[in-house]
Amino acid sequence: MNLNAAVREAIHISEDEMARHVIKATKEVFSTMVMMDLEDSFPLQESVNHFHCSVSGMVGMAGTYTGILSIHCPQSFALRITSNMLGMDVEEVGEDVNDALGEIANMLGGHVKMVLSKGGTDINLSIPTVISGEEYSINAMAESDCVVVPFTHEDEKFLVSLKLRKE
Amino acid sequence: MANVLIVDDSSTMRKIISRSLRQAGLAVDDIYEAGDGIEGLSVLGSKSVHLVLSDINMPNMDGLEFIKQVRGNGNGVPIVMITTEGGEDIINEAIASGASASIKKPFTPDQLNEKLGGLI
Repeated sequence: MNLNAAVREAIHISEDEMARHVIKATKEVFSTMVMMDLEDSFPLQESVNHFHCSVSGMVGMAGTYTGILSIHCPQSFALRITSNMLGMDVEEVGEDVNDALGEIANMLGGHVKMVLSKGGTDINLSIPTVISGEEYSINAMAESDCVVVPFTHEDEKFLVSLKLRKE
Repeated sequence: MANVLIVDDSSTMRKIISRSLRQAGLAVDDIYEAGDGIEGLSVLGSKSVHLVLSDINMPNMDGLEFIKQVRGNGNGVPIVMITTEGGEDIINEAIASGASASIKKPFTPDQLNEKLGGLI
């Protein structure tokens, strides 16, 4: 699993460098908007497509590059994230959690968009999509064109995934 | 004291911006919220607003069209874009359409103070 070769050649960036952009963006979003400091781990060698009791926020990119930026976290951590962002206790996965995870995906997608396109007009971000459930799978694009970074906050773990290819 | 309109399709982001405005110590009175440009135009038509903070990427009516409509209505209220869309071309288009400034998400209350202090 690695960054798509055509993407690497087009923007002269390695998989490690792209992973560092994802890490920097995620830590910045969480420290300023969620009030959480994160620890990152080495990017995974395999894509993760099946989730259990989780929430996934995703934003699509279309244009010169096509892709999906997604954040996948356990429902318990999604509730903590949302509670921190709203400044109040949120106890059920619902509209507030969907909105919070979607907005995090949107901010991360915006950061990646700026890495890929300085002008910003040749890539469009979609309105965020959020799914959650006891058991679900997400399959999109080639499994190999993917960077997946695990993060931890205290005892909670979550993933940020970037699937990307050049059109 | 200024009345502020926040236009963003994310209710979470509207709450964060609202809270950050208070934390930044800005002279803010009433804060109104709208979920897209259409709702934003409706609020501007019925409330006294001294500053608008608007996202760009929204359903129904995006931030760029919203600015054009506001200016087309002859309303000169300062509009600051708060957006993940940090590309120079998009920001330049927003400024050319009548936006006063832009703030990139994520942001801190201090950054809001720095950008908005001269407008409130």
